[in-house]
Amino acid sequence: MVFNSYTFVVFFVIMLALHNLPISWKAKKVNLLLASYIFYAAWNPPFILLLWLSTVVDYFVGRALYTQPNKHKRHLLLVISLIGNLGMLCFFKYGGFILENFVHLTNLLGVDFHPAKPNIILPAGISFYTFTTLCYTIDMYKKKSEPVKSLLDFSLFVTFFPHLVAGPIVRPPQLVPQFETPRKATKQQLFDGLFLLSLGLFMKVVCADTLLSGASDTVFGSGGLMGPLDAWTGVLAFSGQIFFDFAGYSTSAIGVAMCLGFILPQNFLYPYAAIGFSDFWRRWHITLSAWLRDYLYIPLGGNRSGKFRTYINIMITMLIGGLWHGANWTFVAWGGLHGVYLWVEKAIRDSRSKASNAPADGTPAPVIATASFGPPLVGKQSASFIYALLTFLLICITWVFFRSPTFTGAWRLLHSMFGQAPPSGPPLLETIVIIKVMVVIGLMLIFHWVMRNTTVLKRTAKMPWWQVGIVWSVMLILIILSQGTSKAFIYFQF
Amino acid sequence: MHTQVSSKAAILAVIIVLTFFVSWELYLRHNGIAADYDDGPELWAHNRAMVYEPANKATVFIGSSRIKYDLDIPTWESLTGTHAIQLAMVGSTPRPVLSNLANDTSFKGKLICDVVEVLFFSRRGTERPSAGLNYYAKQTPAQKVSFILDKPLESSLAFLNDDHFALNSLLEEFHVQNRRGVYPFLDFPPGFTPNMFNRQNKMSADFIADTNQHNQVKAVWGLLKGDPTPPMSGKPLDSVMQSVKNDVAKIRARGGDVIFVRPPSSGFFLMAEHHLYPRKAYWDRLLAETGCKGIYYEDYPEQAKLDCPEFSHLTPTGAIAYTNSIVSILEKEKGWSFSAH
Repeated sequence: MVFNSYTFVVFFVIMLALHNLPISWKAKKVNLLLASYIFYAAWNPPFILLLWLSTVVDYFVGRALYTQPNKHKRHLLLVISLIGNLGMLCFFKYGGFILENFVHLTNLLGVDFHPAKPNIILPAGISFYTFTTLCYTIDMYKKKSEPVKSLLDFSLFVTFFPHLVAGPIVRPPQLVPQFETPRKATKQQLFDGLFLLSLGLFMKVVCADTLLSGASDTVFGSGGLMGPLDAWTGVLAFSGQIFFDFAGYSTSAIGVAMCLGFILPQNFLYPYAAIGFSDFWRRWHITLSAWLRDYLYIPLGGNRSGKFRTYINIMITMLIGGLWHGANWTFVAWGGLHGVYLWVEKAIRDSRSKASNAPADGTPAPVIATASFGPPLVGKQSASFIYALLTFLLICITWVFFRSPTFTGAWRLLHSMFGQAPPSGPPLLETIVIIKVMVVIGLMLIFHWVMRNTTVLKRTAKMPWWQVGIVWSVMLILIILSQGTSKAFIYFQF
Repeated sequence: MHTQVSSKAAILAVIIVLTFFVSWELYLRHNGIAADYDDGPELWAHNRAMVYEPANKATVFIGSSRIKYDLDIPTWESLTGTHAIQLAMVGSTPRPVLSNLANDTSFKGKLICDVVEVLFFSRRGTERPSAGLNYYAKQTPAQKVSFILDKPLESSLAFLNDDHFALNSLLEEFHVQNRRGVYPFLDFPPGFTPNMFNRQNKMSADFIADTNQHNQVKAVWGLLKGDPTPPMSGKPLDSVMQSVKNDVAKIRARGGDVIFVRPPSSGFFLMAEHHLYPRKAYWDRLLAETGCKGIYYEDYPEQAKLDCPEFSHLTPTGAIAYTNSIVSILEKEKGWSFSAH
């Protein structure tokens, strides 16, 4: 089920009604859990079993990890949990990719091996709920928090439908305590939640699907070289589309949860206003970058094992972060390119701090766990805006690898972007499409810059109610006018 | 945290939205626009699921847009007593759908395939069939429910029309000049494209009466004249013929049957089709290689005299006459029998 569908509208109205009935808190939690399973089953019913299995196994393994005094047995339990969760992820998500690369390798070595291609369906949200349950078991191993008291609360933590299939990736302390006490939305939370849900749908349906996806699909789907205008329009369109699609989902999820009285963490903080790549990773998919920092980068040693090792740890984290997104080397290349950007940024920062004899400004840690404001603006506003624009353009280059299904396609598009070869056919995009993309991306960059140190709800607090009402109505009108086939969220495939 | 997303803002938003859409709906209806159904993958998949009805209770139609206009489904159903399952797609080649039905061992029914040469014998026109087939294969329970919920809304609201009144379509109305060589947006007037729930297209009375609108559609066909792609021939054509032959053989081996129909066209469209796709090299060869029977409109006076106002599709009145003729020919000459008789 997707948020932008009639089915979800009916589902959500029923959920709101049931959640506000005068019944016991336990009954409401059971209701939420059943609704979450229905939400997931509405995509593909049999895969509920996988979700349920992952939940039950990790609940009992987590509890055992926390209470087991024997160090070796605790290690064993952790290994079981890691193998279970990552094994499931590897099979469903990377099974075909692993086999394909194994076949390439064996053929390179002269062995004639051509197995049948497996037809493995990727369960929706597996990357997200697997990371959520891994959070829990690793935290139990480290005794970072108390075990969840009941299977019901743990199941809700994993399966809570707003965040189930595409995040935000929540940590147990962020969500479990909210299930322990009865709660429903206050009148203010309900209206805030509905506003955020509308904003999220506006971002997804209007900006991503209606105004940007056409140009992106046309350019990335073209098999030939094209002129720079078409190439850049397509790449800019995708840069906007991926943001609006994913941030739209996260905003909708936060809004839906808020309508039920729950608070989910922020996942995006105007990333295209980032000045530099460390700043970008503090603002883009915040919960994933926090997860990678806490469960990969820091265990690898972080910045505690010397400069060379820090660079290696940054690159490993970014490469694995890239691979998490999909079973294709282009995603790894995307992560690797971000790693290179972070390296260059760190090297510049380190050399500046050396030259000024001032302490280094910490490693360019790619994440911040909480949704904090970005660092203070460095230098003049206009210079900072130029740096932010440069950061954005370099990020756009990385999106070419993220979106292209092959390296050939990616290189072809990069060549086209920089006018390296004449177009192989007529121009691709209609003028109105180019105008749409440029207007939307321009407004997006301005909006990000203006909003980089605040949030939507804080901003609306400063606006008169009638202005909020007008903005809200414009979003709703454009959502309804957009119509069209509801496209799946891009991050559902991850 | 204090915010201003208050009940007053929400109420104002609802009032503005309702006012806008009531006004917009009244405006469209005042201009002769009626509610119809978006002809997207959802509706196509709904029809695709019906092909398993027994051969004596249903006939499946595939093809391009001509059969969507030229087959009058109520006439067909009253004359034959069988359900007409319309799977044709505008601007598309029917070959992917033919292959899909051929490879579906549960399909054993009767199939009528419309041949519009420029699309049938083409490597292009596969986007909509791919989208429809993919949607059908992967449709989720949630999507099925959304389809059911959507039906009463689409049947009641004229503004729910993706082709003409969605945001992107409204922006196309600015008619911003394109660079030379860019494939243009095909701007069909709303009265040309109304689509029923059974997937029959019917020109509106307003469209039929207005020659300016006919000329607007003819101008769209004129844009397509500029396509430099030559007609398919040689090995690619041989390959297409072989592929269609194989698909037909699979369906017939299971007890099904396939008949090809060539609906009317006129004006410069017909001249271009005769010139680029001579009957002997394409239509006659198709029937000979597949062993199928066919109904070519020019062979039947009652069909040959039918006129297409924009050179390519029949009016609703013409569709009734064409459907009457097709049913009669199928029964008298092609050996098909229907339960109504």
